[in-house]
Amino acid sequence: MEKLEVETFSRAMDICIERKVDFILICGDLFHVGIPDLAVVKEAVTKMREVREDGIPIYAIYGSHDYTPTGTSIIDIIESAGLLVNVVKGRVDEGKLKLDFVQDERTRAKLVGISARKIGLESKYYEILDREILEREEGFKIFAFHSGLDEFKPDYLSQMETVPISFFPRGFDYYAGGHIHDRSENNLPGYERVVFPGPLFTGYARDLERTAKGEKRGFYIVDFDDKITGLEFVEIRLVNGVYFGYDVTGQNSLQAQKDLKEKISQLDVKGKMVVLRIRGELSGGKTSDMNFPNLQEMLLQGGAVYVHLNRFGLTSREYTAIKSAGEDLTTIESRLFQDNIGSVNVSVPGLQSDLGAKLSQDLLRSLRGEPKTNESKRDYEVRLRENALELLQLGEVLED
Amino acid sequence: MIVIEELDIVGQVIAGKVASIFIREKSDKKIELGDLLVAEEIDESYLILQVYNLAYGSQIPPLVRELTAGLKLEGYGGSLEFLDPKLRNYVLAEVKAVARVSETGVRIPKVLPGFFSSVRHLKKEDLRFLEKPPNPVYFGKVRSGSKILDVDVYLDGKEVFTHHIFIPATTGRGKSNLVKVLLWSVLGQNKFGILVLDPHDEYYGRNGKGLKDHPDAKTDLKYYSSKPFAGANTLVINLKSIMPWHMDGIVEFTDPQLDAIHLCYEEHKDNGGEWIAAIVRGEEVEGVNPRTLNVLQRRFKTIFGLWVNERGDLLCRNEAFSNSAGESTTSDIVQALEKGKIVTIDTSRLTDKAELLVGSIVINDILSRYQNYKGEGKLEDKPVVSVVIEEAPRVLGIDVLQNQGDNIYSTVAREGRKFKIGLLAISQLTSVIPTTILTNMNTKIILGNEMATERHAVINSAAQDLTEDDRAIASLDKGEAILSSIFANFAVPIQIPLFEDYIKGAKEGDKFSLRKEDKVLFR
Ligand SMILES: Nc1ncnc2c1ncn2[C@@H]1O[C@H](COP(=O)(O)OP(=O)(O)O)[C@@H](O)[C@H]1O
Ligand SMILES: [Mg+2]
Repeated sequence: MEKLEVETFSRAMDICIERKVDFILICGDLFHVGIPDLAVVKEAVTKMREVREDGIPIYAIYGSHDYTPTGTSIIDIIESAGLLVNVVKGRVDEGKLKLDFVQDERTRAKLVGISARKIGLESKYYEILDREILEREEGFKIFAFHSGLDEFKPDYLSQMETVPISFFPRGFDYYAGGHIHDRSENNLPGYERVVFPGPLFTGYARDLERTAKGEKRGFYIVDFDDKITGLEFVEIRLVNGVYFGYDVTGQNSLQAQKDLKEKISQLDVKGKMVVLRIRGELSGGKTSDMNFPNLQEMLLQGGAVYVHLNRFGLTSREYTAIKSAGEDLTTIESRLFQDNIGSVNVSVPGLQSDLGAKLSQDLLRSLRGEPKTNESKRDYEVRLRENALELLQLGEVLED
Repeated sequence: MIVIEELDIVGQVIAGKVASIFIREKSDKKIELGDLLVAEEIDESYLILQVYNLAYGSQIPPLVRELTAGLKLEGYGGSLEFLDPKLRNYVLAEVKAVARVSETGVRIPKVLPGFFSSVRHLKKEDLRFLEKPPNPVYFGKVRSGSKILDVDVYLDGKEVFTHHIFIPATTGRGKSNLVKVLLWSVLGQNKFGILVLDPHDEYYGRNGKGLKDHPDAKTDLKYYSSKPFAGANTLVINLKSIMPWHMDGIVEFTDPQLDAIHLCYEEHKDNGGEWIAAIVRGEEVEGVNPRTLNVLQRRFKTIFGLWVNERGDLLCRNEAFSNSAGESTTSDIVQALEKGKIVTIDTSRLTDKAELLVGSIVINDILSRYQNYKGEGKLEDKPVVSVVIEEAPRVLGIDVLQNQGDNIYSTVAREGRKFKIGLLAISQLTSVIPTTILTNMNTKIILGNEMATERHAVINSAAQDLTEDDRAIASLDKGEAILSSIFANFAVPIQIPLFEDYIKGAKEGDKFSLRKEDKVLFR
């Protein structure tokens, strides 16, 4: 999976070089985590260096995944190395956030942006953002952001935390969005072109599923002189995908296993990435009776390059502990926390209701983090602990 | 017998019958129309009386009085006086008993006050039974005539919101002010999800004071507008979230048009859901007369304010509807309601129909969710939902209901209670709303109204017998009201505070300050 991700990134960079773009703008989450696997970093940095040596500047803002507990993330390091320019420049002055434009030398384009916030939502930045100075600025302007927008989020993401677009300065030529994993080109009065390219390629369950179903992945090349003259989506597809959804409802575990096996054996998976989604309620037997490794093995033997199995929607009548209608792990967790937070009796507002649920989920996610390659057990523990304290906002309290 | 302190006595019961008791006013005291009086009984219980009429009484025959007045006026008897004028001429107050307070509680009075018993003005302590309920909604202070007592009037929101609230009054009498006060008092409780359709954009307080100044506004108040200020939500609803039945009773269609709508909807239902866009773009629908489609196209363009530009893009004039943005707007609003927040929607730029449609879309969604919750036994944990709607006859008027059939608002008025959903209907007119709906609105806050027919309609459907209050209602000043509710022991005269005064001294919400990690970002 990682390999596919890295290759896709390289491919994108190659296209940028081939097409002689003036500059590249990355709206956050270059990596999945603040300190990614160094092998991955090496590949990415090598590629970025190629791009830079070709005279193409790379601009970026921070994504929600670009933070680390210690405050220095890999993006910082890449920036220090001069491979990219963080376009979030500014200061807080009399309670107002004043941002400075970064001007691209060759095109004179002016870039400004707001990064995601590590904890909670970056809406706090927007609340104090001085929009007026940004709106007054002349020239070709790009606003880079890393947040979902209330007005443009698809209905199935309605649980997601997003910000209203009215927070953004109006009248920019291009609003470049990160964070949302679906591609979309949008507009509303005052915001002519709000574009989310979606990720290049990621191994997240939902993304994989959509990719397998045929959603195009890639990036945008934007043509402009003093106004935008063209917008082109460049698709990158290294492998084709196959999506197979299966509903077990009405069958017991044995029947379902047998039927699945038969159906799967008929799929043409050679050289493809396969996403299997199994859901429904078994009429008998346990969900654990079903031999998923066996199905996965079958597909790999059939030539699949990668198999992703999603069975969060699978339950059995015999075992219905806490059923969740959620689509993926995050949604399920979020719902479970929200459903149950009420039974926790605490008086600190930050631990109650939505805030509490969100915190619990962040904490769980953080504690679930696996050790990095080359990370010692001790470092790992320290990192987890710091992460957790940071989330709980106890860092300063417990520091001594 | 409890002895009222001599000083307190304002009069004495002298005659009358149930609902028409006569009290003679003590000469140096003043009894006013609307005053609340107390007649104490032997066993610590007491009757609360309300004055609804004042008249002169005199021991002197009319002819003599007329003559005496004439003599004085024409200058014949400078020093002419009656013997013991205080005894012989007096004021008679006609009162009705509104509540009987005893150890066992507060009841509708079924007894007359003791003959010749003394009465006094109502005091704060007499209303100790007006306790603050668990989920308080604030209405104002008890008013005795035009005097204000320092007694706050609350009702339990879980009860009043589900059983509908009705606020009738002519323009300028303080309806909006009352709604602001009432919403302010529940903001932050998270027990009520309140959808406010705000055609005058006056509740949020975009210009001036409003709900936004509440300390909990940041978390518990949402504001949607098609012209949002920074940080506000854009009121933009995706055309795909509109279902044919959202227009039921709000937009009138002929049968062939309805058929066409359904065919078109079915065709697009599992296929992007862009049925409205298809009609507005003039796409053909199999089995539908193109003429019908033409008419529909025109009507949809007007209703939703849509047009198609040269590039073929669908655009919306009032910007409240879109075929690309706003997919999750309805869900967002409904989720906020389910979390017990107040959602104000500035509909000041929308047409009447568009406003009602926006409301309809949201209410349909929340209603069907709450119906499901009920089926799953989960409704108990959900906040009560209330929908604030101005000019209620637009959806509850007899003619509207007769010509266009039920709409989602009237449905809520009739059966929303089962699903914990209620209306808060504001209206200048009452007489045009069917009695069946009016009597279902179990809390009415009656403000001033100079139109007799309207007063009668209100009185006829009130929770308490207000037959004698006609005149009082006619003369209610700004902010003065009568709170008549099945959840109140009697029809309580209240003084609603001016919103700006009411919120004075409210705490400010938390201000954002940058944290350590943020400072790192903006070196
Ligand atoms: N309770 C009150 N006390 C004093 N003045 C009031 C009160 N309610 C309303 N007013 C005054 O009356 C004006 C009209 O009130 P408003 O609530 O807008 O009436 P409505 O909505 O019935 O037309 C307000 O601007 C306010 O100044
Ligand atoms: Mg008003």
